[in-house]
Amino acid sequence: MDASMLSQQILNGITLGATYALIALGYTMVYGIIQLINFAHGEIYMVGAFVGVLMVTVFQQGLLFSLAAAMLACMVMGVTIERIAYRPLRRSTRLAPLISAIGVSIFLQTLMTKIKGPQPVAFPQVINDALYKIGPVEISKVQILILIVASLLMATLHFIVKYVKIGKAMRAASEDYDTAALMGINVNRVISFTFAIGSALAAAGGVLVGLYFNSVSPFMGVSAGLKAFCAAVLGGIGSIPGAMLGGIFLGVAETLGIAGGFDMYKDAIAFTLLIIVLLFRPTGLLGRPIQRKV
Amino acid sequence: MKKGKLWLLLSLLVITAMLLTGCGGGGGEEKKAPEGEKAAEGGDIKIGFLGAKTGGHAAYGVETLKGMQMAAKDINDAGGINGKKIVIVEEDHGSKVSEGTTVTQKLITRDKVVAIVGDPTTGITKAAAPIAQQNKVVLLSAGAVGTGVVEIGDYIFRDTLLDAVAAPAVTKYLGEKLGWKKVAVITSMNNDYSVGLTKLFKEALAANKIEIVAEQSIQDGDQNFAAQVTAIKGKNPDGIIFTGYYTEGGLFMKEARKQGMKAVMVGGDGLLSDVLMKMGAEAVEGSMVYCGFAADEAKAGEKTKKFIEAYKAGNNNVLPDMFSAQGYDAVMLIADAIKAAGSDVPEKFRAELAKTKDWNGVSGTITFQENREPIKSPVFLLEVKEGKFAVKDTVEVK
Repeated sequence: MDASMLSQQILNGITLGATYALIALGYTMVYGIIQLINFAHGEIYMVGAFVGVLMVTVFQQGLLFSLAAAMLACMVMGVTIERIAYRPLRRSTRLAPLISAIGVSIFLQTLMTKIKGPQPVAFPQVINDALYKIGPVEISKVQILILIVASLLMATLHFIVKYVKIGKAMRAASEDYDTAALMGINVNRVISFTFAIGSALAAAGGVLVGLYFNSVSPFMGVSAGLKAFCAAVLGGIGSIPGAMLGGIFLGVAETLGIAGGFDMYKDAIAFTLLIIVLLFRPTGLLGRPIQRKV
Repeated sequence: MKKGKLWLLLSLLVITAMLLTGCGGGGGEEKKAPEGEKAAEGGDIKIGFLGAKTGGHAAYGVETLKGMQMAAKDINDAGGINGKKIVIVEEDHGSKVSEGTTVTQKLITRDKVVAIVGDPTTGITKAAAPIAQQNKVVLLSAGAVGTGVVEIGDYIFRDTLLDAVAAPAVTKYLGEKLGWKKVAVITSMNNDYSVGLTKLFKEALAANKIEIVAEQSIQDGDQNFAAQVTAIKGKNPDGIIFTGYYTEGGLFMKEARKQGMKAVMVGGDGLLSDVLMKMGAEAVEGSMVYCGFAADEAKAGEKTKKFIEAYKAGNNNVLPDMFSAQGYDAVMLIADAIKAAGSDVPEKFRAELAKTKDWNGVSGTITFQENREPIKSPVFLLEVKEGKFAVKDTVEVK
């Protein structure tokens, strides 16, 4: 593999990684606050992609409107799922909401299969793709779009968490759920907000991936969800910059693996990396050290 | 007390249900059996149809059956074979393997057919063939292309275009007619068909001195092909040999065009579906697919033209597909063997069928080799033109 092809592959990897990162953020934020691995998150991403297709084909909308509509729809869906499937189980064992999450995941997959059938659906061409040559690499309009939208969304998230009141409340709740409640923070609202933001990011990821790979399918959330979960753990679950880093890291590793002829093992690459990183850094790349509560 | 009553009620219900269904099934069989015997006395030659009219493979089965019925009509209109009429016995296995074996058994023992045409799929053919072989009934599949079919026994035949015949012919065409010198080969590693076809293409490419400049693997179900396309793009191949299925084929070409590749794709009938155009849109324009038969009135010979016209007349002007043509040929092959043997006893006409050489059918010329594997000529090379498959050329097999 020569240098120009290598840099081209790395660019492919970063694009893929950016979409993983968008999904991983949802996992990590929810885990940070209620220690729940939201296994239905991959399905929210899938539904987001389908809403995007619906907006473009049936309602004849442009890309940005479709993206916004998908994000909004998934926000509502994420909050509803939390309300119905997780909140009633908040005070039970930690396994209960996890099982509930798997149930929601299967439900959404089956529902979508029922509505659209199990075959992949082509994503309509909403923008005229073009190639630009920058130095040794060629970058397509879609790739640029993915990188810009993903960075913008992540920057917005960073801003909200760091400087906006609800973001501060999120951080407080993730620090210590009960104390935050005692200090007058409405934790239920914080959790709803977390689900809303996470789901919106996943929906954006879904639409962008649909556009990039030209197809969406009811099962696309399964492997993407697992990979993004991997990315979240890799970066340090609960850490927002960690999820971004983990996503990009995973995307590049996977793409280079395929390019190197290990296509058969591309899913294994993600999990092998995860094991290696966790062996040396049990809390992930950017995870906080484990706190012992006395 | 209450629990006891409930149990009683439940068991009563179950018994009634069993009685009812039992009666229904038995009655049906009783009614049908005499009919079968009578037909045998009448001296008709019965050929069974093994295939699906419902379920996932219904499209293959229904088309095969249409072709078979047309052949039976043509034969009977011309006076039958040795004074006997051909009767097609229809069954439906609903695309299920287990039902396929049951239907085969029924056709042989109840309907006493002398030959079975089917199944259009390799899987069910392989399940049904041992039963036919054991009962010494000829089974001729008008669709199975996978391996290990005719090896089951000397009563098992097929009249399909095999990849082992088509891949070398198409490769030669690519080198000689289109001047391809270097290609990229893409294989779907979790797809047996694709892995097998890649092996055949590689042998043919080597024999025709076409260089493989890049080889990449994908998986069925993949959506992201950016890495593979980037890897082959730098090698500038004249064309892409893609051995997988239509969904991935369409998406792969979409990515190739996105990255600015101009080369077109060539593949087997695994790519032959409208889904290819749905997934690939204009990116698959110019892609080539080979198959055993395609209706092309302009280029068809006398016999084929007649078949196409007759099919169109009976099917609202729709063109026949590969399955109906091969179904037609299957019945004709059997009829000719019976004629040659002067007997409709499978033991006798089986030998004549095995001798078939340069036999002229509507789907092409068929020769059965020593091992009963067919050599079929020509290979139909289709090209995607304005979102539709059109015959680009026919490649003679020597």
